[in-house]
Amino acid sequence: MKDTRRTRVVLGVLLVVALAMITIDYRGGAESPLRGLRGVGATVFGPVERASASVVRPVSNTFDAITDAPGERRRADRLERQNHKLREQLRSMRLDQDKAAQLQRLLGTAGMGGYEILAAQVISAGQGFEDTVTIDAGSRSGIKRDMTVMSADGLVGRVTRVGPATATVLLATDQTSSIGSRLEGSKEIGIVQGRGRRGLGGHGATPLRFQLLDAAAPIQVGQRIVTLGSQGQRPYVPGVPIGVVERIDRSTGGLTRTAYVRPFVRFTSLDVVAVVVAPPKTDPRDAVLPPKPKPPPTPTPSVSPSASPSGSKRPNARPSGSGSPSTNPSGGN
Amino acid sequence: MLNPPEASPAGRSVVAAVVIAVTLILQVSVANRLPLPGGVQPDLVLLAVVALALVAGSMTGMVTGFLAGLAADIIPPADHTIGRYALVYCLIGYLCGVASDEMDRQSVVPFFAVAAGALAGTVLYAGTGMMLGDPRAEWATVSSMVPLQVLYDVIASPFVVWAVLRATRRYERGERPRSDTLAVPAARYRAMSGRG
Repeated sequence: MKDTRRTRVVLGVLLVVALAMITIDYRGGAESPLRGLRGVGATVFGPVERASASVVRPVSNTFDAITDAPGERRRADRLERQNHKLREQLRSMRLDQDKAAQLQRLLGTAGMGGYEILAAQVISAGQGFEDTVTIDAGSRSGIKRDMTVMSADGLVGRVTRVGPATATVLLATDQTSSIGSRLEGSKEIGIVQGRGRRGLGGHGATPLRFQLLDAAAPIQVGQRIVTLGSQGQRPYVPGVPIGVVERIDRSTGGLTRTAYVRPFVRFTSLDVVAVVVAPPKTDPRDAVLPPKPKPPPTPTPSVSPSASPSGSKRPNARPSGSGSPSTNPSGGN
Repeated sequence: MLNPPEASPAGRSVVAAVVIAVTLILQVSVANRLPLPGGVQPDLVLLAVVALALVAGSMTGMVTGFLAGLAADIIPPADHTIGRYALVYCLIGYLCGVASDEMDRQSVVPFFAVAAGALAGTVLYAGTGMMLGDPRAEWATVSSMVPLQVLYDVIASPFVVWAVLRATRRYERGERPRSDTLAVPAARYRAMSGRG
């Protein structure tokens, strides 16, 4: 096919359109005139993604099973069809159990903080440089912009865009994400910023960076970080565990100090998450943090963990991390 | 060498649209969730655009690229300025379409064309990010991601190219049983995908 004049004209037109869109969307920012386009994208692709996620899930689970056990593939080849079907049933049952356990823990965590949550599942992830995921709950389920998203382990991110049946979540590891946060057991505040690539890139186990606003404040390796809570509880509700300080930058002279944080959440294998639809009535402070993994001086595991040093400094209304979380998880009403 | 608009353009564009839509869905719901080392995932949509452009020429390549890019810009988890992928994929589609005219019939050349397309696409996308001052497209991130992404793209390319060819060829077969226009590249790509 010849590189005709018409081809070049069309190319020129398309490039100009693309550049114009970039300019308009970039200058417009959040109020961009093109945000309607994104709405169209969410409306059109959201349901398709949901459907494809339900198809893809068993496949990816099979994939996981294969990579987990190298012999699995050989054995699976030999199995009869009937056997295969049985195994499929078993696996789906185990999956359901797994999900139920995850939900149970999620409810426990949310109950401790007094958050009112809505469980959702991750159905797709972003491309290129962005750390974003889509969840299968949208405006029809009552999700709004700037809601906190957490999992049973801790903070996941916040909702940035909402479609009818899906919502986009900006993960805490994204490079544009910054979260007001507080050191456990103290009033020292700082900002947690993402370092990109869901912790898979060159940053190893510390995909988050914590900037302590007071350079002279004490900070130690092993201290844990929770969200500070934003004004009006949006986008971040207070008290959600973020991670553990892993490494502190010794460089001095700056106005802030930098530490590197290992998050509680594994961002590479997000599945069941919870959107906080109503913030807690009172700041849960450190109550939601998991019990400290300290070598126990007393070998009796039945001692109530609320005696652990994390929450003991402060008289707290809630039993911090007691073995059976409150049976009324949505106590935020 | 090829003149696709003569071969029932409507049917061909339907096939191209289906190919792109399926690739896009696979990209966001499967490929992007793979925990591959380095935190980079192959860009299947880019590969599909390159493959379509190599098969069908520059016109189809750039229109497909533009539309695929626009769709990639608005598909839900996307969070970048609208138009970036549209620009990049459109250019890559055009260039690969032009390159397909120059290519001789050796089976290695298209393989390099796919790799070059992947490299150019990734670099261009990162470039637009840098020009817009996107904090995600810092030099440190880009320089560590681009080589790995190109590697993954090259590894994934035979499968995507093979799938695209299957899709387009099936349509061709139904429409015109003994078509010479596509027989040559099809054989060429099959040889290539067998090699990869």
